[in-house]
Amino acid sequence: MRILLLIILNALVFLLSLSVGSSSYGFEELWKLIMGEADETARTIVVDYRLPRVLLAMMVGASLSASGCSLQALFRNPLAEPYVLGIASGASFGAITSIVLGLNITGRLLLAFLSAILTAYLVFFIGNTRKFRDQSYAILLAGIAIASFLSGINSLLIYLHSQSLHQVIFWLMGSFSNPQWEEIYFYIPLLIIGLSFLLATSWNLNALLLGDEHARAVGINVERYRAELIIFTSLLTASAVAVSGVIGFVGIIIPHTVRITMGEEHRKLLPATILLATAFMPVVDIIARVSTTGEIPVGAITAMLGGPFFLYLLVRKGL
Amino acid sequence: MNLKVESITVKLGSSEILKNVTIEAKKGDFIALLGPNGSGKSTLLRTIFGMLKPLKGVVFFDGKQHEMGYLPQESAETNLKAIEVVLLGRTPYLGRIKIPKERDYEVALKSMKEVGIENLANRKFSELSGGEKQKVLLARLFAQEPKILLLDEPTAHLDISSQLEIMSIIKDLSRERIAIVAMHDINLAISFANRIFMIRDGKVLYTGAPKEVITEDSIKEIFGVEVTVRRQGQVYVIPKIRGSKKGRKVHVICGGGSGRDLIYLLNSQGYSISAGVLNALDSDWETMSEIGGEIVDAPPFSQISDEAYQRNIEIIKQADAVVLTNLSIGKGNFKNLLCAKFASENGKLIVVDKTEFKERNFVGEEANKLYSEILKKSIVVKSEEEVLDALRKLLYR
Repeated sequence: MRILLLIILNALVFLLSLSVGSSSYGFEELWKLIMGEADETARTIVVDYRLPRVLLAMMVGASLSASGCSLQALFRNPLAEPYVLGIASGASFGAITSIVLGLNITGRLLLAFLSAILTAYLVFFIGNTRKFRDQSYAILLAGIAIASFLSGINSLLIYLHSQSLHQVIFWLMGSFSNPQWEEIYFYIPLLIIGLSFLLATSWNLNALLLGDEHARAVGINVERYRAELIIFTSLLTASAVAVSGVIGFVGIIIPHTVRITMGEEHRKLLPATILLATAFMPVVDIIARVSTTGEIPVGAITAMLGGPFFLYLLVRKGL
Repeated sequence: MNLKVESITVKLGSSEILKNVTIEAKKGDFIALLGPNGSGKSTLLRTIFGMLKPLKGVVFFDGKQHEMGYLPQESAETNLKAIEVVLLGRTPYLGRIKIPKERDYEVALKSMKEVGIENLANRKFSELSGGEKQKVLLARLFAQEPKILLLDEPTAHLDISSQLEIMSIIKDLSRERIAIVAMHDINLAISFANRIFMIRDGKVLYTGAPKEVITEDSIKEIFGVEVTVRRQGQVYVIPKIRGSKKGRKVHVICGGGSGRDLIYLLNSQGYSISAGVLNALDSDWETMSEIGGEIVDAPPFSQISDEAYQRNIEIIKQADAVVLTNLSIGKGNFKNLLCAKFASENGKLIVVDKTEFKERNFVGEEANKLYSEILKKSIVVKSEEEVLDALRKLLYR
């Protein structure tokens, strides 16, 4: 029932995204467009610009929220998320390096993925050393430390290669402007692989919630699953970062909103999280592009929403 | 159905946790693994379960891996509903993409019923009491339909009624199975187990029926404690009590915070404490007020009057022992040293002499002389903890 509502919501947001902008098109005009009766300008704006843009927003939302949801189960920590854990910073380090090197989207994604995975392992390794065992904030602190270190390097890289300064900085702040179909074609298979893995193994996430030892007791190979989770969430995060820059806190806001209404069972939680994110992200993008004459970075909006949300969870959990 | 563990040695890191352990169990056995913390109980269970590979030896079980159910000691915390936790027990029966079928729900509900918590099915696990949580985890274990139950301290952190309830459930549901339960409550083990394995430093030292293995000697060897084993109907163990301290009066001559730790220590040991002479509002005076002991006091910042001195002597006469703490002596409390002298002459003084007296003497040679005379006739110790031993010697000789 809730899933059906979410699907309807997605459809509405999708249509809204196509119609709202510098020039608005009503549903009637959109219908004409589908029937091939609209004029060339409308076609260019809607099909070549707005359509890839809303698709990108939906895909990024799905990637980040599904990763966040899974990482929260993996670390048994409601504040875990690709951005907070530094995985997004790792991915942007790879992506910026590729921009500096002048690589294309494939190269950008590959480097983003590699550095995201390395960062994720590093954070996990540091935050999970025996010294900190049972301190749920150790993993967050490790993530924050590594994220700030990488942000420093990223700034340095951007500064040293200032010819593309504005472009890179705007990309880094997170945005869906300048959407390319090429990026979407590249992204779709990765998204499908990543989400399929998480959805297919959502049962294991339930088991992880009880603790590693309990998960092993019900027959789950915890070490292997953890390694797989890190790989697939890094893949999703890196793809999102490579196309849209760093958009933080989506991985916290969406899973928690769903958790409040649907509980923690991941076979329901994860699909609902993905569906809410695919509706949420285009809405944020609409706000980003219509609230001013120019464009606000989407990452700035999610950060303004996410910061207070993060604090709320922090206070409620009493870390 | 049989379980055989043959001469297994398990190493974790560089230390051998299990040394050449051999045990056997058969259907219907309820085995208690008894031993102190760190003796290797958990390691043995985890090795039987297959989570740890033995360096030497084999675990032999004529069944499938998923027919072994293991309940770790680790406490679980989740917002999953109770039924969702129980369903996790069905994991080994699900396909590659794990979707529980109707039969899995049926088995999960049945095992909740067996444990007596079918009414909790839709409650959040995190909102349950400790005993209820443990029952949910037990139902999870039974939903796995195991033939061997390996339980690691299933009653740790539970109140006594929950402990008994949980153990009864395990007992009931293990009749057609093998249950191996790690625990350290000896009496609980005796009440429920038909066999007891006593384990220490990675070696199984005693195996057999409770009546055979639970003796004063075996418990001393395994746990290092003195107990009395009673055999009236059932065997049971009670700790040996070394004479009650109740009502034993100890007077403490202190001041300026020098008596604080000692007062708390004596209080925790059940002594009846008095102190004096203390200036009102002195930090030791406050400590005494806090625990509610009798105080001989003088007004703040004033010299001890003859009247207060006399009252102190009266209390010292009634006390079973007197302790002079590592206090500083000035003109104001010089009479306390005279009180200590009086106690030493009566043979009931213990002196805590931590720092050189010269450094805490602000009166002069007279006090030095007095102090060395006091030392000659008293028990001298270096710390508050040693006072307890000295008191034992003094009071129970």
